[in-house]
Amino acid sequence: MSLAITFFLIAALFAILASGIWIGLALLGVGWLGMELFSSRPAGDAMAVTIWGASSSWTLTALPMFLWMGEILFRTRLSEDMFKGLAPWLEKLPGRLLHTNVIGCTIFAAVSGSSAATCATIGKITLPELAKRGYPENITVGTLAGASTLGLLIPPSIIMIVYGVAAEVSIAKLFIGGVVPGLMLGGLFMGWIIVWALLHPDAVPPITERTTLGQKLYASRNLIPIVLLITLVLGSIYIGVATATEAAALGVVGSLVLAAFQQSLSWQSFRDSLMGATRLYCMIALILAGSSFLTLSMGYLGLPRQLAEWIGSLGLTPFWLLFGLMIFYIILGCFLDGISMVVLTIGVIQPTIMAAGIDLIWFGIFLVVVVEMAQITPPVGFNLFVLQGMTNRQLPWIARTALPAFFLMVVAVGLLYAMPGLVTWLPQRMVG
Amino acid sequence: MRRALDSVYGGAAWLAALFMIGTLAAILLSVFGRLFDFHVRGTDAYAGYCMAAAAFLSLAHTLKRGEHIRVTLILDRLPPGARRGFEIWCHGAGIVLAALLAWFATRLVWQSFQFNDVSQGNDATPLWIPQIGMALGALVFLVALTDDFVTVASGRSLRHRDPDAEPVRSE
Repeated sequence: MSLAITFFLIAALFAILASGIWIGLALLGVGWLGMELFSSRPAGDAMAVTIWGASSSWTLTALPMFLWMGEILFRTRLSEDMFKGLAPWLEKLPGRLLHTNVIGCTIFAAVSGSSAATCATIGKITLPELAKRGYPENITVGTLAGASTLGLLIPPSIIMIVYGVAAEVSIAKLFIGGVVPGLMLGGLFMGWIIVWALLHPDAVPPITERTTLGQKLYASRNLIPIVLLITLVLGSIYIGVATATEAAALGVVGSLVLAAFQQSLSWQSFRDSLMGATRLYCMIALILAGSSFLTLSMGYLGLPRQLAEWIGSLGLTPFWLLFGLMIFYIILGCFLDGISMVVLTIGVIQPTIMAAGIDLIWFGIFLVVVVEMAQITPPVGFNLFVLQGMTNRQLPWIARTALPAFFLMVVAVGLLYAMPGLVTWLPQRMVG
Repeated sequence: MRRALDSVYGGAAWLAALFMIGTLAAILLSVFGRLFDFHVRGTDAYAGYCMAAAAFLSLAHTLKRGEHIRVTLILDRLPPGARRGFEIWCHGAGIVLAALLAWFATRLVWQSFQFNDVSQGNDATPLWIPQIGMALGALVFLVALTDDFVTVASGRSLRHRDPDAEPVRSE
């Protein structure tokens, strides 16, 4: 009986989603169906109370603040300055300015919580600059698509906030846990560029301008604003003076100050960033509202417990469990966005993960890397959409250029599995 | 009528934006309170209330801008006639769900008022006050969905997102 209910609800969910109903409302609807049809508790009042609780939770306030911060920074000259500061240092490295994509995204990811925002902000400067200098478009676009997903893994991170709230894990610990894996993945991407450049020595345009060490150092002054901002946001979390939410609010103020200094702060840009962030948050909030009720409804039906028992009875080792989950998320990620993926599954899967003895911080980072893959897998991948808008290329072409990045992320998951300390070492050294 | 509806969505969106600023202000107040040793009661809870109001009040505006995400994989590949049928189904079902949300959110406000439900935090706010934002936002959302339903059902096409517009930078 209960198995039939489970299958019915999952089938209903996918049918409703595929028919084109807004994701948040679809989750709400399936939660309603499950509760009305298969439980005796009145669904309506439980729905209102649950959604109210989820939407007004203090922990979640970090999310709209980081979105707002990203919207402000997108409208500043920050990415231009970063390009000017980084470019002179990359003359000798094989692949040269292609590395501005990876290093630029890695640095910007430390002030941005979203991978699509990172992609748009860094891409708006590197795509035209690299094209002007004659770098082949496919490698430029591919490395940007891959590297910008670091926006999710390197803190702050929207997905980590969503996961932290859903799984009741410390968001600050998740943030700090993402630092080392993020830098590692950035290193893998740089390795990809180096190997590519060594294999295609003719494709990388020659150096146009040589700079002295003094000039390099002088150009680096352009990096000062972003370094200050990173110190403000991540530093305050790491040394324990601010929670993720407070760091986010400080980040909004810091970004506004930075924009004012660069004279890119106007009434127009302030209003655009505020309205942009409000709409983005609203879109996510509807999904979170729907999923909070669906999770409640699933919980009433005992679905998570049954799933945990069923998977437990299979006697899988943690390796095969995680391997199976990775495949499952990769497939799901082709059709769903990352936030929906996380909120849809975490309530159901968490008991299984805990029963298998997997650390919830580690699992959060694992999930983030898998969601990063979802950002660049067609037909639904937010970074692909952003790049489609910026390059006027077709989705399949962009997805193909980003394919090596996808495989590097699979490698990264393998490394994280082999060395869990990559995730857990830094958070254990946090103050407080 | 068109102008009146649009100004309702726009007005709610402006209110939502103000609540975003309110969220920021509440968090900053608690940060500075700790730094400079003064204490404002319940800033954490107020930040949450403001955030909830911001989310619900902008629901309609976000819908109108086509920024609520949905799976359009099948929708985009349908011939115009079938697509219209699907859109009618989506908007119809959307109306039912938004109506449920609006009804029970309003009922929650009423119940919180009746039972004098007070916040568990140290702000001790009567909960019906912040819950008004959720009920009001859900109502405006219902109106916007109905508005779009009428447009789709009468065979006109919705104002779709401008394909050249900036892509949504979510996630």
